[in-house]
Amino acid sequence: MSSRRIPLAVLPAVLVLLAAPARPARADEARDLLVQSEARHRTKSQEYEGDLVVTSKDGKERKKSWKSYRFGYAGDSKMLIRFTAPPEVKGVGYLSLPRAGKNPDQWLYLPSMKRERRIAAQDRSASFVGTDFNYEDLEELDHEKYDVKLLADETVAGQPCWVIEARPRSEAGKSLYEKKLLFLRKDLLFLVRMDLFLPGGREPGKRLLLEDVVLVDGHHVARRMTMKDLTKGSTTVIRLEKLAFDRLQPEGRHTLQNLVREGGD
Amino acid sequence: MLALACPAAAYAQTWSGFVEAKGFAYAERSLPREPWLVGWGTAQLTFEERLAPSLRLAASARAEGWSAGERDVFLDLADRDLRRAPFSLREAWLSWSVAPTVDVEAGRFQLGWGKTDGYSPADAFLPRDLTDPFADEKLPLWGLRARGQTGALRFDGVFVPLGTPWRVPVSSPRFAPVDATVAGLPVVLADGENDLPRAGWGALRLLATFGDWDVGAWGRTGIRPAPLLTVRPDEAYLDGDAVVLPADRRYAREEAGGVELSRVTGSWILRAEGAALFSTDAGLGDALIWTVGAERAFGDGTLLLTLAANARGTPVDPLLLFDRALLPAFVAVWQRTERWGSWRAVWTQGLRHGDGLAKVELSWSATDALALSLGVDVPYGSRYGPFGARPDLKRARAGVRWSF
Repeated sequence: MSSRRIPLAVLPAVLVLLAAPARPARADEARDLLVQSEARHRTKSQEYEGDLVVTSKDGKERKKSWKSYRFGYAGDSKMLIRFTAPPEVKGVGYLSLPRAGKNPDQWLYLPSMKRERRIAAQDRSASFVGTDFNYEDLEELDHEKYDVKLLADETVAGQPCWVIEARPRSEAGKSLYEKKLLFLRKDLLFLVRMDLFLPGGREPGKRLLLEDVVLVDGHHVARRMTMKDLTKGSTTVIRLEKLAFDRLQPEGRHTLQNLVREGGD
Repeated sequence: MLALACPAAAYAQTWSGFVEAKGFAYAERSLPREPWLVGWGTAQLTFEERLAPSLRLAASARAEGWSAGERDVFLDLADRDLRRAPFSLREAWLSWSVAPTVDVEAGRFQLGWGKTDGYSPADAFLPRDLTDPFADEKLPLWGLRARGQTGALRFDGVFVPLGTPWRVPVSSPRFAPVDATVAGLPVVLADGENDLPRAGWGALRLLATFGDWDVGAWGRTGIRPAPLLTVRPDEAYLDGDAVVLPADRRYAREEAGGVELSRVTGSWILRAEGAALFSTDAGLGDALIWTVGAERAFGDGTLLLTLAANARGTPVDPLLLFDRALLPAFVAVWQRTERWGSWRAVWTQGLRHGDGLAKVELSWSATDALALSLGVDVPYGSRYGPFGARPDLKRARAGVRWSF
């Protein structure tokens, strides 16, 4: 089943990663922006309910819904995700627990099997549950794994933006992409668009748009994310509802016992 | 009282289920009375409610109809009848979280134990419904269960006061063939005495995670759910185009213990299990079962490999012991998700007689709720093996399923 790999809750982390006040003035300013944003936009926890719609080139739609609970931030976060729709994946759960210096421990609960399964780190090129996102697209952007440089300013949806070119370093593992262009809103330093270039591509192969930016519990977050596969012509739209940050988490929420608890979180 | 104590309206209440129609087309048959085509319809409804933050309820009922085959009772709440009933209860449990990481459940539920895929000795004894021998459908249990976690250690204790027996295949050359003929006529088994278990079993499983390693140990004691068959050749009789051989069923006591291991190694998950099973019943004997398995994802596909065997001989043909019939065997599964749906290929190779089963399943998702499926099951090889013994089960199948 496709839903055996589900780190979808990291998406909002991508959104808040790149927000910080800064006054870039030199060529290495791109790195400075990324460093500052990472330091500033930490949240203790995050909860939301997500819905995604995948629309194929011929207009056919697929929908999925889930709930996500994160405690901690970035490489130190615990995460629980529970799918709520469609019926075929309802109840499927994913738990990720951090381990210092290593990939997180990951488990999947499949109601049809009535048991949890430890799973390995995923192939970054795999499609995420049949959407236009690949697993690499869901990873938090670790700028240390990229060579970055600042390009000329552009405007996205009427907002002036910094544009940063990020090329993955070879030692950071194989990437799907030759380069990424990051568009940061100048007023918030918030990521509002990312163009993804496949190897040898002059035009982006995919484009991620982050829209409907709101302030929730003192943190900026985009409530709508759209990934367009410009080659296949398909689109995936993710909407986040009931967002909450820095809330206390019930004891035992991020445990294997809770993962296998049917009808629970 | 419960309703007064719990503000139920404030918590989630959901209904879900599916309606499915499927058809089978068989490539062979030994008797003219066995149909070439069989239709099967199923409707299942599930209700779940969170009565309070620490109290959850679920119930699931199934209605079925099929064009060929035997049935005895209209409703079988315990699944203890020899034949599958048109109406049955799949789940009916109440779960109470007595602590943040401790739950107590009572009612009817299904278990899924073990780590290895394809075959797990921790899971293999659990009752199956072999009405369709290639479907690997588990039967739910009536019982009590306590599960919990403290730190890295988890426990799972189950008590089943009254055992649910395996539902063995219907007696026919297609589903339960006998490798013998009398005067040129095929021999079929018929239901004899069925001494249903009057007791159940209890089991405890402990699990822990240490870095890349998941380890576990389990033990159980009680009545083994799979029957032991005793045929009565002296009471054989002629029934039209076949010789009928009555077979009695009885249930033996068995004690068992096992260990489980799982390790993450890069992109692979390696799994292994070992189990020792003891019975003083001469018709069952002891067993030492081991399995090793590996799993890895390749893009949108997943490969699962499992090798399983019993290091001890069996006092009777393993085919007659049901949960050990497959051993030794190698199982390979390749499953892949596509934009249009998914497909799956399963190859099970018996290593005792060289027989096996090749299955391919394809599911096309017309919408999020509607899926069409196609598949083939091809048993092959020696007639002495669990798969080769059923050449009449070569078949193609097609189905449509609407979920809500």
